[in-house]
Amino acid sequence: MIGRFFLAALAAGLFVGALMTPVHYARLVPLILHAETFESGGAAAHDHAAINDETMALRLVGSATAAQTATDGAGLLHLVHSPAASGEEGDGTGLFESRLLGTFFANIVAGAGFALVLAAISLLLGVPLTAANGALWGVVGFFVASLAPAIGLAPELPAMPAADLAARQTWWIATVALTGIGAYLLILRSEAWAKIGGLVLVALPQIYGAPQPDTLDSPVPATLAAEFASSSLATAAVFWLVLGLCLGLAMDRFGAREA
Amino acid sequence: MSIRTGTVADLSASTRLAVGIAALFTGAFLIWGVGFAHSEALHDTAHDVRHSYGFPCH
Repeated sequence: MIGRFFLAALAAGLFVGALMTPVHYARLVPLILHAETFESGGAAAHDHAAINDETMALRLVGSATAAQTATDGAGLLHLVHSPAASGEEGDGTGLFESRLLGTFFANIVAGAGFALVLAAISLLLGVPLTAANGALWGVVGFFVASLAPAIGLAPELPAMPAADLAARQTWWIATVALTGIGAYLLILRSEAWAKIGGLVLVALPQIYGAPQPDTLDSPVPATLAAEFASSSLATAAVFWLVLGLCLGLAMDRFGAREA
Repeated sequence: MSIRTGTVADLSASTRLAVGIAALFTGAFLIWGVGFAHSEALHDTAHDVRHSYGFPCH
């Protein structure tokens, strides 16, 4: 019995994670690969990448920026990737030979992780998560864990300027935690203090502000970054909706039956 | 021992608490591994997923 809800959540998460992999490959991975051609940090190690850098930069960025990129190597805040991440399949330090396989496993683990946390919240609060209300759980999950952190930290591409990693991770976790508690107070509590407190908690991390980079100079074209940001959020919305629904179905199926 | 299992709300409070906490920690651990761990192997494997979900990556 103990393991029943646990396994139901796990199964739903693994399934949705697997489902998201082709979506990522259709909408997001091509943009990531494109952005990686602007990472001048890898130029010394990979000559073909350097050529790519220049031609791409000349074609897509203004000539002034392109000249700077070509002559000034790592002068701007170009973030350096490890070989595996810059598309050099096989010689990286990833757990899998193939980039696709790595993404697949990361996706199913992420799906399982988010599904377990969603199921845990349902169990701890005593609020049922069913097929009937699963989509609503998913919508709340999207607002809390995707939209709220994206307000301060727009989904980023490789080679884009960014502030200190640990500071951004801390802000991300704090924002999701505070927004989650805020959502609980706003949605499930009816007291006036809870409504006000919920609004304060949701607004607090945004007022405090996410860590921002010193410069906005980026070798990645703005149109590419914009396309990635909207695609990333749209994909996340699909993920959360499907996850909520599947989790609800799994909970109904495995939880509400005779043992 | 035939137990009639119902929806989440029908479970005893202590069962809900135990399963809930177990699921919460397991889920958080998995998300940490995919989205936050600084291990190079994990970063490289989950790289595209980190970017796609909007986790801070570099």
